[in-house]
Amino acid sequence: MKTRDYLILLALAEADLHGLGIARAVQELTGGQTRLWPVQLYGTLDTLESAGLIEELDDPRQRPLDESEKKRFYRLTRSGHRALAAETDRLAALVKVAKSRLKPRTGGAA
Amino acid sequence: MSRYRRLLHIAPRRLRERHGHEMEALLLDRLNEARRRGRLAVIAVWMRAAVDIAASIPREMVYRWRQRGRVGVRPERRAFMFSSDIRYAWRSLNHQRFASVLVVVMLALGIGATVAVFSLVNGLFLRPLPFPEADRLVYINETAPKWNLEMTGINYHDFAQWHRDQKVFDAIALWDTRSFNVATESGADRMNGAGVTADFLKVLRIEPLLGRMFTPEEDRPNGPLVTLIGEALWHERFGGRADVLGRELKLNSRSHTIIGVLPKAAEFPAGARLWVPVQGNPNADEQNYNKDGIGRLKPGVTIAQANADLVRTQQVIFDTRDKERVVTPFARDLRTQFTRDYSMIASTLSVAVALLLIVACANVAALMLARALARRREVGIRLAVGASRARLLRQLLVENVILSVIGGAAGLALGQWAMQLLVSALPDQAPQWATFALDWRMVAFTLATSMATAVLFGWAPALHALNADVRGAMSTATAGSTAPVRGRRTLHALLVAEFALASMMFVCGGLLVRAYDRVRNTDPGFNPTNVLTFTASVPTTKYTDEPAQRAFFARLKERLIALPGVTNVGSTSCAPVSGCHWGVFYTVEGAPPRAADEPRPVVLNVVASHDYFAAIGMRLKEGHFFDERDGTEERTAEGTIIVNETFAKNFWPNGESPLGKRVRPGSRFPWQRIVGVVHDVKHYGLERDMRPNAFVPNPRMQRSSLTFVVRASSDPAALGPEVRQILRELDPEVPAYDLRSMEERLQRSNALRAAYSWMLAVFAGMALLLALGGSYGVTSYLVSQRSRELGIRVALGARSGDIATAVMKGSLAVVLAGVVIGVGGALGAGRLLSSLLFGVPPYDAVILITAAVALFGTACLANWLPARRAARIDPMVSLRSE
Repeated sequence: MKTRDYLILLALAEADLHGLGIARAVQELTGGQTRLWPVQLYGTLDTLESAGLIEELDDPRQRPLDESEKKRFYRLTRSGHRALAAETDRLAALVKVAKSRLKPRTGGAA
Repeated sequence: MSRYRRLLHIAPRRLRERHGHEMEALLLDRLNEARRRGRLAVIAVWMRAAVDIAASIPREMVYRWRQRGRVGVRPERRAFMFSSDIRYAWRSLNHQRFASVLVVVMLALGIGATVAVFSLVNGLFLRPLPFPEADRLVYINETAPKWNLEMTGINYHDFAQWHRDQKVFDAIALWDTRSFNVATESGADRMNGAGVTADFLKVLRIEPLLGRMFTPEEDRPNGPLVTLIGEALWHERFGGRADVLGRELKLNSRSHTIIGVLPKAAEFPAGARLWVPVQGNPNADEQNYNKDGIGRLKPGVTIAQANADLVRTQQVIFDTRDKERVVTPFARDLRTQFTRDYSMIASTLSVAVALLLIVACANVAALMLARALARRREVGIRLAVGASRARLLRQLLVENVILSVIGGAAGLALGQWAMQLLVSALPDQAPQWATFALDWRMVAFTLATSMATAVLFGWAPALHALNADVRGAMSTATAGSTAPVRGRRTLHALLVAEFALASMMFVCGGLLVRAYDRVRNTDPGFNPTNVLTFTASVPTTKYTDEPAQRAFFARLKERLIALPGVTNVGSTSCAPVSGCHWGVFYTVEGAPPRAADEPRPVVLNVVASHDYFAAIGMRLKEGHFFDERDGTEERTAEGTIIVNETFAKNFWPNGESPLGKRVRPGSRFPWQRIVGVVHDVKHYGLERDMRPNAFVPNPRMQRSSLTFVVRASSDPAALGPEVRQILRELDPEVPAYDLRSMEERLQRSNALRAAYSWMLAVFAGMALLLALGGSYGVTSYLVSQRSRELGIRVALGARSGDIATAVMKGSLAVVLAGVVIGVGGALGAGRLLSSLLFGVPPYDAVILITAAVALFGTACLANWLPARRAARIDPMVSLRSE
């Protein structure tokens, strides 16, 4: 899974958001490191939607009240949730290995 | 924000329609955030957004590719329409086959000439030199403005100083060109080689194919006799066998050990076939300036820094030997050094060929426009039945591209062929490393030129097609009616441009040919007809002392003069226009010592036998030539010397006669009395200025290598084999080399000028032909379109003479306007060319008038045929034909 896709799914795991909201959430998640740009972001959203990982909220009642109706809101689907969990496990395993390798070496080349 | 919306049109429509507003909102968010951080941040956001949009294009292409077959049939239909465009275009081109072939020929001429010139520019200036990271290579030499010498050659002692002290080069090396008698089983060959210093290969970054380079220890005075041979020689002589290492090769009758084989890429300097160590003595304080230098800059070092560093290392020498700072080292880009003579020529030819291409394009444009005007009825019908203008335009574009691609392909072949001709006309002028073979740059260039021409000649018909209106076209486009005013006006404008450019090129070509003629007819100062020259060098190991050498050359001369048809034989150390030079400083007896900053003229010193002057046909101004007794006196006694006019003018500027005055080449030498003054000989080529020149009689200064000058009563070429035979009989280890007639030498020294002058003349001729063809075509078209009008005029009583005059007047006014503009432009262009004109004034009246008369006169002829056709119009026929 691409980092960008993972970040978007992660942002949606907390709350249902619209495009601008996702961009802000991703920026926050990465400490300002990752900024998504319009064409890239919405292109990715379309791709994720057609892959069934996210879906658009079409029932206006589910929208947060203070947002205008023009914006499209997205939420994580069940399979999106699973994909996110699987990717998280994979990353966690990787991180574990990485940490063990980055330990300060003792006693020369092992 | 509307700016961003417009930008978004590049992005896939799918995304834009679905998310357009939100995309704008997101960008606005980014912009607001950026505004707090200043203007630069805002610009950065815009740039990032543009990249974001641009990056979506390839993604979208991949997406569409994946979606193919799912969405519909659109891509297929488009391809189908495109192929129908091609088929239709082909049909319409085929329909007017003559015009199409004409267009292709014109384009091929224009593009072919452009390709030929581009391949010249490409080979000389664009193609990388055959060494790794060649942009870091620099040429090094020394300059001495006080001696009136731009390049003195490098002094080994100076070089040793730089080599020790420099900080900006990876490595520096010296080279000089030498030639060797290389022993064979049956005799000896003369081969060019080079003396180089140990770092030579390190500078060029070349590894020997086999063996090794010599070491710094071997590159010392009295070092071992070793040599590296080139790949070609290795294959020729040793069949490419690996056991060549350690073998002996006799160079100048001395045995050298072969320690390595160098690849073809190392063939530097040009033509070198074997290399030996220079073995210079860094401690010898000699005033010998005869070598060239090459260096590899450390990464990131500029040429200016390299120059500064060289001058810094030279400081030690400024402090000791050269207190007047006469000789200063310098470095310059290696390629610049080797292409110096070519840059002005290359840019002149490039401009000329660009003009030619424009003329060709204007011509084709006129032809296509005439065709489009003739087709306006068809266009009108197609518009009426619903064809879109875009479709018509595309149709036209496809036609043009087909024509220009065919023209381009033919042009590429033509250009290649012309280039081969040109290169073979320049036997040893072009630098050896320059190759002119086809490469991707040339293909890309040809393709780009073809496309550019398609646009250049296509715009006029295209504009016309865009402006076509249905009703107008349908109602007026009947056969035999006059073309619309605007179309006619464009045609005339194209013709004016063509004639202006053609006459400009005609004048410039004429100026250059005239300059070439002037150079060729320059008095060389001697009589070159029926003179054969060749050089023979005796090995000093075998002919160890001067009497032995003198005896050998005397025997050779005896045999030569006995040949039938030979009238005079003389010998010299250095024949005119053969590229040799030996500079010496002379002082005049009793002259006040020169001030420190006063320039000291370098004198060309030539050793000549007493019969040399008669053999080469030099002319005496004062005094007498040498006779047998000259130079036979004791070396320490007063000698005799002959000088040239420039020598006399330089040392006695007041016009005193130098006869009887005494000069010497330095205080160590005895005085030499001037016995004769000769007219200047153009030693360095007909275009170059002559230096002061002194001739020393042969016996006084013996050389182991002499150039013989053989004057015959008829064509001397037949003497060549006999000369070689004589030498083989006298000593098989002494070959005759550089054997050619004096006329050939002169011709070779002019080959470059001849080539570019004639090239420009040919371009001018082509431009003239194109302009004439264009004028003829346009007038014919206009006449055919006016047949109805002309028919009415005849029916109303106009005589055929009136009709012809009317037609001629119209077209010739256009031609005249073009010629006047062009000649005016040529006056300016000629001034830019003046450095190539060898004193021919750019406003040379003969050429200006010739050009104007030639262009105008031929244009009259070209228009005469259509005018006569117009005059013979039968009103019954032309009016009935509707």
